[in-house]
Amino acid sequence: METWQIRPLGEVLRDEWIMRPRILELLKEEPRTIPQLAEALGKPSNEVMLWVMAMWRYDLLEETGKANREGFFTYKVRD
Amino acid sequence: MPCQSSAGKEKGKQMEHDVLIVGGGIAGMESALTLGDMGYKILLVEKQASIGGKMILLSKVFPTLDCASCISTPKMAATSHHPNIDMRVNTEVEGITKLTDGTFKVKIKRKATFVDPAACTGCGECEKACTVAQPDQFNFDLAARRTAFIPFPQAVPKKAVIERFGSSPCNFTCPAGIKAHGYVSLIRSGLYDEAMDLIMEVTPIVASLGRTCFAPCERECTRGKMEGPLPIRMLKRFAADHYYEKNPHPPYGPPGEKRDKKVAIVGSGPAGLTAAYHLAKNGYEVTIFEAAEEPGGMLRLSIPAYRLPKDVLDRDIENVTALGVEIKTGHRVQSLAKLREDGFDAVFAACGAMQDLKMKIEGDDLSGVEGALTFLMRVSSNEKTDLTGKTVMVVGGGNVAIDAARVALRLGSAKVLIQYRRSRAEMPALDAEIEDAIEEGVDIQYLKAPVRFKGASGKLEAVESVNMKLGEPDKTGRRRPVPIEGSTSTMKVDLCLVAIGQRPDLAGFSEKDGTALTRWNTLEVDSTTLETNIPGVFAGGDVVSGPASVVEAVNSGVRAAEYMRRYLEKEELPGKPMAQPPAVVDRDDVLKRNEGITKLTPAKIKHLPVEERVHNFKEVELPFTEDEARFSASRCMDCGGCSECHQCVHACPANAIHLDMQSQSEELEVGAVVLSTGFQLFDAHLKERYIYGKHPNVITAMQMDRILAPTRPYNGVLRPSDGKKPDNIAYVLCTGSRDHTVGNPLCSRVCCMYSIKQAQLIMGALPLADITIYYMDIRAFGKGYEEFYKQAADMGVYFVKGRVGSIEPADNGNLVVHYEDIEGEGGHKTAEHDLVVLSVGLFANPEAGDLFQGQKLDLDLQAFINEVDEDIDPGRTNIEGVFAAGSASAIRDIPDTILHSGSAAAQAASYLERRRAAK
Repeated sequence: METWQIRPLGEVLRDEWIMRPRILELLKEEPRTIPQLAEALGKPSNEVMLWVMAMWRYDLLEETGKANREGFFTYKVRD
Repeated sequence: MPCQSSAGKEKGKQMEHDVLIVGGGIAGMESALTLGDMGYKILLVEKQASIGGKMILLSKVFPTLDCASCISTPKMAATSHHPNIDMRVNTEVEGITKLTDGTFKVKIKRKATFVDPAACTGCGECEKACTVAQPDQFNFDLAARRTAFIPFPQAVPKKAVIERFGSSPCNFTCPAGIKAHGYVSLIRSGLYDEAMDLIMEVTPIVASLGRTCFAPCERECTRGKMEGPLPIRMLKRFAADHYYEKNPHPPYGPPGEKRDKKVAIVGSGPAGLTAAYHLAKNGYEVTIFEAAEEPGGMLRLSIPAYRLPKDVLDRDIENVTALGVEIKTGHRVQSLAKLREDGFDAVFAACGAMQDLKMKIEGDDLSGVEGALTFLMRVSSNEKTDLTGKTVMVVGGGNVAIDAARVALRLGSAKVLIQYRRSRAEMPALDAEIEDAIEEGVDIQYLKAPVRFKGASGKLEAVESVNMKLGEPDKTGRRRPVPIEGSTSTMKVDLCLVAIGQRPDLAGFSEKDGTALTRWNTLEVDSTTLETNIPGVFAGGDVVSGPASVVEAVNSGVRAAEYMRRYLEKEELPGKPMAQPPAVVDRDDVLKRNEGITKLTPAKIKHLPVEERVHNFKEVELPFTEDEARFSASRCMDCGGCSECHQCVHACPANAIHLDMQSQSEELEVGAVVLSTGFQLFDAHLKERYIYGKHPNVITAMQMDRILAPTRPYNGVLRPSDGKKPDNIAYVLCTGSRDHTVGNPLCSRVCCMYSIKQAQLIMGALPLADITIYYMDIRAFGKGYEEFYKQAADMGVYFVKGRVGSIEPADNGNLVVHYEDIEGEGGHKTAEHDLVVLSVGLFANPEAGDLFQGQKLDLDLQAFINEVDEDIDPGRTNIEGVFAAGSASAIRDIPDTILHSGSAAAQAASYLERRRAAK
């Protein structure tokens, strides 16, 4: 089953504001990859990617280190 | 200051610039620097917020793999700082006309960026504070940026820009200028206190408006053209209730800085409270005189508590008194001029329209016939009124009529009916209020009106009414009610409440102090300043306009406060106009921008059940929960771009943000024109079989260049579907070039090499990744290109000769590429990849062709600028004095672009010198 979904970009980006507190809450529990976050949020992974990258860009999140063996970075709340 | 060059000086003509260069990419910069170094004065116009064009967005350049930023940024800086280059970003050329003397008249428009570039330090705090997300065009939609943004880290100039498509309809429509879009976006972001603060920039009566406003913003909400408007009024109420719960009393006191001026305000309704609030915040000593025993004016006296609880109003009023405003209740002002004589430096009359109009029919002086407003005021003043078992008729169709009927029900009436002389469609009361009244049991009789009140011993006993039909429209556009002869009927009524309109109670102002009145018996004021004929006496709200809405009264309070401030500070009146918003956006454009978005059913506004509300004054409308509020706010489509939430204004340490900035047009004359308008990338959506835009892991090579660039949108080379590092990447060459099906038969010259460049860079970033390049033939024509191609093959890049026919989704975000295997076994083959990069072709930018007026610029079949003779006269166009530089005339790689730009610069210099010599 695919975990991505195509919606108009503007609509997805606007949802960042709603998803932001939930993403921060999950990452405060433990660092997670995009697919792990997507599963916990019940949201498409490509949309979670957009939200997480916006939060990364504006210094709310950071990656914990190198990517894991499957090629995914884990992200945590920036100190 | 004019900067006349010696080299390009026109005899008898003072020009600030010798050459106009249109476009600040690598070609424009190169031409500008070359001409600037020769001593010519250059006007470089770039429509984006930064110069640098597309090159600055690249990762590296081929075949040297030099860092594109490292090459571009010194040129960008040199262009920006060159003494002979006047660089204008965010500026568009609107038209160029060649004059008879061989020079050019140029019209340019500097777009408002809402940021003072001289003050902006490029710190980025505005971006972090901004509450509106937009696709980032500088990352080719791979990521979000904010509406307040700096284009990219190496931008020159590195200045923030605020993107506004126009005023959002909700902001534009609010009579008081409250930034509805702003507080909606703040609530969406969870910034509830900030939402409250934003509304309080306009008025202190936030919770009252959140309950009583007729919400014209909602009527204009673009979502109204879809599944229904945002509940903007309820969101305002949410912000206020949330804030008041946290702050039972205002967390502030009087302002520290006081001004030695006293202001009197007559009336404590929405206009008076709003004016007092602003004047007190400015440090003036404000006293409000209120005739009633409690403050609030119409908010307290005419709006029943089930719509606006008194404690909520009290808390709103506390926002004003906390600033040190004194409210003297039970004090009816008899003369406005006398207040001035008593030492008040300015006076604001905002005493409302508190007198009921009479029907002027037989029996309207009977006991039991009463003005509806008078009735509501009696009840609000806690005068004991028992209507148990009575039959009450209300006459009228406005909100006062509905309020009176519902109050009469709550006071025990056995039957309450409303007679309205027109039909439901013409009824001015709010639909929701009418529905609530009907739900509670009020009987509304349309097309019916009293003609006689019958009574005995001076007391009302019955009302005789006549049926109406609708005739021709009257001055208001509503159809005029016409009595139907012989249709009268009589019913027994104990109390008839007349709600056919109100007028101001001017307490004899005119006779006592000569205050000018209109023929409608309202105070006459200057329509801009709101000043009356008595200097220093201003008036606003219903006492000027006649009965209007709360939010319109707030507007007059805001305006009066500003013009009174100017008066008190002895500034010119009216002086500079108050800030005007940009033109409202076209809602159809907003819908087009949001095509395909999900329909989201609006949150239902809940009410107390009828049986729990109809015998008491409990608030009927229930508040939104936090989830309902955020969901409702998240439906906002950000129509105008910037929401005007003002977070950037507060965050900016340099006070550089000015949301009232206007675009400016300017006309200039120049001696020559260089067009360096660059190229456009092929829109990969048009190649439908490659499913670009339908699968997140099909991207363009420009997007991959951004992913590989040091200023990339992600924290690594990741695929967009799930953030995984790709390990099997395909490149599809000739996407949108050498392809008649998309109207571009030409080779784009650079796709082979930039794809090979990216392949090499990926192998550096992801050493274990497999990279396959599907190609028709590799065109490695430039210096070092063939070696570069072979180097990639030696590194392990897999080259497959064969055009890709289609791409299909596979599991786990992967993709299956269908291709024709030309060199191998032949036939149709498939291969699975976890990321596909479309090496898109380059197209002409047709904008250059539209710039000229009076003369047509020749374009070739592909809409590139036609050079007269590109072999021996590169850069020359059919218009003498106009030259093309770089990819404006044909697709070129970077070295060729630079070379061609130098040629165009030399041609322009030659033209200027020839003309000078001829003169």
